[in-house]
Amino acid sequence: MYDKMFYGRYGGQFAAETLIPALDDLEAKFEILKDDEQFNKELQHLFKAYAGRPTPMYKAENLSEKYGCEIYLKREDLLHTGAHKLNNTLGQALLTKYMGKKRVIAETGAGQHGVATATVAALFGMECTVYMGAVDVARQEPNVKRMELLGAKVVPVTEGQGTLKEATNAAMREWVSCVQDTHYIIGSVVGPYPFPKVVTHFQEVIGDESREQCKELDMTPDSVVACVGGGSNAIGIFNGFLDQHVELYGVEAGGTSDDDCKHARTLGKGKPGILHGAYTYLVQTPEHQISDVHSISAGLDYPGIGPVHSMLHDVCRVKYGYVRDNQALNAFKELSRLEGIIPALESSHALAYVLDNPEIFKGKKVLVNLSGRGDKDMASILERGLI
Amino acid sequence: MKGFYIVGGYPDREKFRECLFAVAENGFEFIEIGIPFSEPVADGPVISEAIHKAVANGVNIAEIMNDVREMKEKYPEIKAIVMTYANIINGYGEKAFSEAFGDILDGVIIPDVPTRMHFWMQERGLIIPIVPFVTPISRPLDIEDLKSVKTPFIYYISIMGVTGSDTKSSGADNGVLAGQLTGNPVITGFGIRTPQDAKNALDSTGGFVIGTEAVKRQGEPAELINYIEQFASL
Ligand SMILES: Cc1ncc(COP(=O)(O)O)c(C=O)c1O
Repeated sequence: MYDKMFYGRYGGQFAAETLIPALDDLEAKFEILKDDEQFNKELQHLFKAYAGRPTPMYKAENLSEKYGCEIYLKREDLLHTGAHKLNNTLGQALLTKYMGKKRVIAETGAGQHGVATATVAALFGMECTVYMGAVDVARQEPNVKRMELLGAKVVPVTEGQGTLKEATNAAMREWVSCVQDTHYIIGSVVGPYPFPKVVTHFQEVIGDESREQCKELDMTPDSVVACVGGGSNAIGIFNGFLDQHVELYGVEAGGTSDDDCKHARTLGKGKPGILHGAYTYLVQTPEHQISDVHSISAGLDYPGIGPVHSMLHDVCRVKYGYVRDNQALNAFKELSRLEGIIPALESSHALAYVLDNPEIFKGKKVLVNLSGRGDKDMASILERGLI
Repeated sequence: MKGFYIVGGYPDREKFRECLFAVAENGFEFIEIGIPFSEPVADGPVISEAIHKAVANGVNIAEIMNDVREMKEKYPEIKAIVMTYANIINGYGEKAFSEAFGDILDGVIIPDVPTRMHFWMQERGLIIPIVPFVTPISRPLDIEDLKSVKTPFIYYISIMGVTGSDTKSSGADNGVLAGQLTGNPVITGFGIRTPQDAKNALDSTGGFVIGTEAVKRQGEPAELINYIEQFASL
């Protein structure tokens, strides 16, 4: 009966008893609405007229020439608000409306999901509170101001390391107290069932479009590459190619080194365990406490990962690698200089993996999910003197 | 049933032991011992802070459980219940945990394992009874499901919130119903502070547990003893 909650061994519904009725309600409504004509008409309209879908697939000629492979970019950075996160928040806001709830809460790391949630809350006239680690509030200040301008309340979370993990703790605590009239718009393919399924569904549009766009160019990529924080942009694009002969690469944040607390290599260095609603790989200590993690990019600075990726890792359908902070920074500069596209630091990880692994990618057709744009990162990069 | 919750090993081993034995000596029926986990998502600021401090000092499960074992040997009547998060028991190994501590534990409370996920821990070898939760918004079917559950008691969360919230109690209807339907004892937890709160809980569900107000005083065991004495005679 509960098989539906798992991806292989991973997933489940490890949430407070108080949340179970709301999770059941969400599941029931989602299962009906995902195939509902009116719902999909509204969502498609928002995707197209409001968000700017379909996003282009662009062949980066200059970069390709320099690096000796054909690099195609799926331009989620061109989506309204500047990242793929809006696909999910539009879908979930519409669900919220159909469920008759008037308030939404969210956690955010880089602030992209917070901005995307504040945006849809403004659009739908919903009240919105966003939980954000105090450290992230400092390093992603432009996004904090955007959320506030959009009418959201931003609550800095000082617990622990003050990043995405603690923001998620805070959102979950808050949800228990207001679950009857508030929907929690979770930001990635994480959390208790049915969240991983719901978020995957709304992000699949990336893969669906990419597949179509490849067809139009009469080409099949050899590889598809995406960065992995919780894993929503990655599963979104992978799902378009899982059933084809295409190599899939997920790129984790390697931080500064493999020392404790210096990276966020969940699959590379973690062990399965239970956090934020799911059984999945986690970076943890030998005593089973969740480790502090580090990444230059706030959106990848998370010790967990969506359960679907744990499964895809175990069955070796996707290869999960990593790049270090400095490699991501280098890719950030390369794309800016060579193509005039400033990528998000998160997305720079995916690109860096391609640029720095010629032995894998030389001569190949590579599709990189450019999950977001880098404007949000400028302030903190400048402040730290990194460019 | 009357009981207290305290955080294992907090603020240090000695003070934890004093608090543990104080609860047992004062004739309470059960004691919940928290094994600290770095992400206490069911806990409010007071207990979270204690847990974070304990984690920073290093959590030694063997040491906490040795103290519980000693307490249990001296006071075999009291029910000892571990309250912790799923990752701690999963990481230790459900089977290994049961083998190591099954003889001294009457139950485990795992706030991120709802009733429908009990099977998952049990399939992996957890044989210590898992205490189920009932909430103000549990549906009749959720409560029905508890008829066959083997447990020292049912834990009724009387508020919509985390431990220590000062949210108003949502009443005891579901807690009372759970007792009637399943025949198990019921205790009310999350939000019990004063002897009056405790008395109300005893009158409605027949039991209570105090957490936040006890943990607040764990740093000064003498204060905790003063505090708990008010509840011994209820
Ligand atoms: C641009 C961008 N890419 C990627 C991520 C990582 O999230 P996910 O792995 O869910 O795509 C984030 C998260 O904030 C982001 O802002």
